[in-house]
Amino acid sequence: MKIKLNGKEIEADSAKSLLDTCRENGINVPTLCYHASLFPEARCRVCLVEMNGKLVTSCSTKPREGASIITNNEHVMKARRLNMELMVPEPACRKEDDLEVCGIYEEVGMRSARFANIKEYKPDLGAAVIRDNNKCINCGRCVKVCADIQGVYAIDFASRAHNEHVTPYFEKNLADVACIRCGQCILNCPVGAISERSHIDEVIAALDDPEKHVVAQVAPSIRAALGELFGMPAGTLVTGKTVAALRRCGFDKVFDVDLGADMTIMEEASELLHRLGNGGKMPMITTCCPGWILMMEFFYHDLIGNMSTCRSPHEMLGMLIKTYYAKKAGIDPKKIVVVSIMPCTAKKFESTREELETGVDYVLTTRELGRLAKMKKVDFASLPDEEFDPALGIATGAGVIFGATGGVMEAALRTAHFLATGKELEKLEITEIRGMKGIKEGKIVLNGKEVRFACAHGGANARQLMEQKDKYHFIEIMACPGGCVGGGGQPIYRDPDTLRKRTEAIYGADRTSKLRRSHENPIVLQIYKEMLGAPLSEEAERLLHTHYVKKDRF
Amino acid sequence: MLRKRNTRRSEGMQILRQTNMEALEKARTLGSDEVLTLLEKKGLEGRGGAAYPTAKKWRNSRDTPADERFIVCNADEGEPGTFKDKLIIRHNAETMIEGMLIAAYVVGAKKCFIYLRGEYEYLRPRLQEQVDSVLAKAKMDGVEIEIVRGAGAYVCGEATALLQSIQGFRGTSMYKPPNPTTCGLWGKPTVINNVETLTCVAQAVLFDDWNPSLRLLSLSGNIKNPGVYEFPLGVKMSTVIDVARPEKKLKAMSFGCFGGIMPVDENMAITPEAICMEQCQHGAYSIIFMDETVNVVDISYSIAKFYTYESCGKCTPCREGTIRILNLLKKIRNGKGVKKDLQTLQELATHIQETALCGLGQSCGNHVLTSIKHFPQDYDYYLKKGAKT
Repeated sequence: MKIKLNGKEIEADSAKSLLDTCRENGINVPTLCYHASLFPEARCRVCLVEMNGKLVTSCSTKPREGASIITNNEHVMKARRLNMELMVPEPACRKEDDLEVCGIYEEVGMRSARFANIKEYKPDLGAAVIRDNNKCINCGRCVKVCADIQGVYAIDFASRAHNEHVTPYFEKNLADVACIRCGQCILNCPVGAISERSHIDEVIAALDDPEKHVVAQVAPSIRAALGELFGMPAGTLVTGKTVAALRRCGFDKVFDVDLGADMTIMEEASELLHRLGNGGKMPMITTCCPGWILMMEFFYHDLIGNMSTCRSPHEMLGMLIKTYYAKKAGIDPKKIVVVSIMPCTAKKFESTREELETGVDYVLTTRELGRLAKMKKVDFASLPDEEFDPALGIATGAGVIFGATGGVMEAALRTAHFLATGKELEKLEITEIRGMKGIKEGKIVLNGKEVRFACAHGGANARQLMEQKDKYHFIEIMACPGGCVGGGGQPIYRDPDTLRKRTEAIYGADRTSKLRRSHENPIVLQIYKEMLGAPLSEEAERLLHTHYVKKDRF
Repeated sequence: MLRKRNTRRSEGMQILRQTNMEALEKARTLGSDEVLTLLEKKGLEGRGGAAYPTAKKWRNSRDTPADERFIVCNADEGEPGTFKDKLIIRHNAETMIEGMLIAAYVVGAKKCFIYLRGEYEYLRPRLQEQVDSVLAKAKMDGVEIEIVRGAGAYVCGEATALLQSIQGFRGTSMYKPPNPTTCGLWGKPTVINNVETLTCVAQAVLFDDWNPSLRLLSLSGNIKNPGVYEFPLGVKMSTVIDVARPEKKLKAMSFGCFGGIMPVDENMAITPEAICMEQCQHGAYSIIFMDETVNVVDISYSIAKFYTYESCGKCTPCREGTIRILNLLKKIRNGKGVKKDLQTLQELATHIQETALCGLGQSCGNHVLTSIKHFPQDYDYYLKKGAKT
């Protein structure tokens, strides 16, 4: 059908919203409550345009035959601005946070406060995620993401009129409800009303303490995303610069969580084979993702027996730093401070879990590391590429791909095949479990036995997979869409293509690795030889495994 | 006392004529198409306020492909000053239920809901008995009627919010399209009709002398004889005032809360067009009268308070705009207002009207716009009072 867009006649699709039509024709319309992959709510009323002289929300309106659409006249601009003024009584723009709402102030021409702020809410301070409703503009994206993408339903709107606010159920704090701490709400908050519980101050204090030996360990997905905080394009691999930046910040040693991932694979693949050989509980489900662990404990606690007992990679490495490394380097473990650099807010919670004796003292998200580096005046772009400290710094490509959905599965199968058959997989790259499809599956033959596997990312997909779990032997779940590259601690992104680019960077790092299988990692082999004996040994169980408990939702 | 007065006045009202299951019988003999043609010919329009042709609504719903359809009777009479549905439910519920069954028959629905206002809970036991007895008499295969009690939210009188509430969600409005008629309860075609409309359906089908121009007026305010009255459209204001019997000279009237406030003109004929001329909306013809002792700003303030409490909070202009309007009116009444505040009030009210999501939001600024337009002297009173002190 034909419509007129700002006076220009164009061909429009009657099934597409005005917003999509405008954007396809190179005209941007500001949005706040709109989320590309969710059903539009049309709450915020910022995406207003004029259709045949009447104001309509472009996200929820379809064009009419012959309609005249105007996106930028005074009527539209004034209405958009007034809605912004009503929503945000005090325009606060912190440059370092690069809030989405700041771009919209500019677009609607809002400079100063016009109405008095009437919000008086108590902040909600959890161990991992904190919320400040005084900053909230009720766009509802966190609510929608929590429910529709994550399938968690921890938060919703309550009360009416100007008292309407986002809250966990029964007005409790996030820390006391069935929230999986995935942090997807943070990524979707345009005003920074939700954020991670920061540990920067504690880390700076530790770095300043001459008594302490401060060790950083860097998760696989950080290297594919950190650059974005310093103006680099999405998907830039910054492994060497990350290590250099951490050293400039004052960390004594910088280790690679990929090594922990390799350890995880050795343990997990052995556990899988053990279960397959001894009629253990099937399917076995991975436990690298603390968000998923919480989700299981809240909603699927009947599956506790199906969960692998392996700790997540950084918890394994944290333990090894305080035992193996401490002994080798001759440092008192009490003086070692382990700081994990993670793409994840749930990891902050994980290191406070009572079920495991943790070696990790603090967890910083990718965003926090970026902030720390800026506070320490590190000129990230001009840093040289540096190597991880060799003591615990050699890792394989199998460890790197932990950062993407399907990666744990792929790495585990590479090693499981070798451990079971003594031979390497013919085809190293298991492409059927790569990519952004919600649920992916495949099968492999181990010693004449068919092993079916599947992986899901995003809580809602995980729920869907749990409905059909009995079809499989081995399941990988990542709570965040895209896996750790899309984690709740990662740089906030607006381009939906970002996740794909980060994932590509991760697989690129695997392709260029010299070692691509966990069982080839010399340090892993050395650790087993010198300390643990073999996978699933008593010592390995003590240091590298954990257990789970049923958690009450109310 | 009240019941007695109501009975006295309601004698001979068309809306209280009972159809005694004959309307349904006639509808079933006529067939679905014929009933729709008949209703079209009789000119039945929705009585909830939007005056949408009933037959057209039913036809849209019937002709939308679906495996299931629903009928909803909107008995969430929340508009302040409106109490006509209560009268019907108390005195002629059987006819209303019969109207629902005709709707179910014509549209092809099996499940019907009566969404009863939370405050009308006391009417429920008797209504349930009547539902059961009409259903038993009707012998319609598999047709069920469920009474759902509202939880007291004004916004749930709005069709989309009402459907959300029936489905067990928070009562918040949804944008249209899709219209409930084609995509309502659980995504299925759903016909939502007002209590009065459904009662009229049965009467229009059965009675040849049914008069489409009769409307129920709920009168209240500074008058001696408040109550529900039946008048034909176009009736002179003076006739209405005669039965309402004010004690003092009437100054203003408000159509519920949402319709706006306008001066009382004895020579005016009550028609949608005449009301529209004064920038007001007739809605369900509930008229709250105010005499000379009243300052319209005070009324506007009360209405603003009502909306600040009842807005569902979903869309920005209504959620944030209503409280700003209230605060400005409070400031003016406290004698702290300045001329510019009136401009801001008008700007906000127009803005909400233009950009809010649902009917509630779009009309919640009417009282401000109309009171400033028609009664500037009342605002001046407060502005001058402030200037003196």
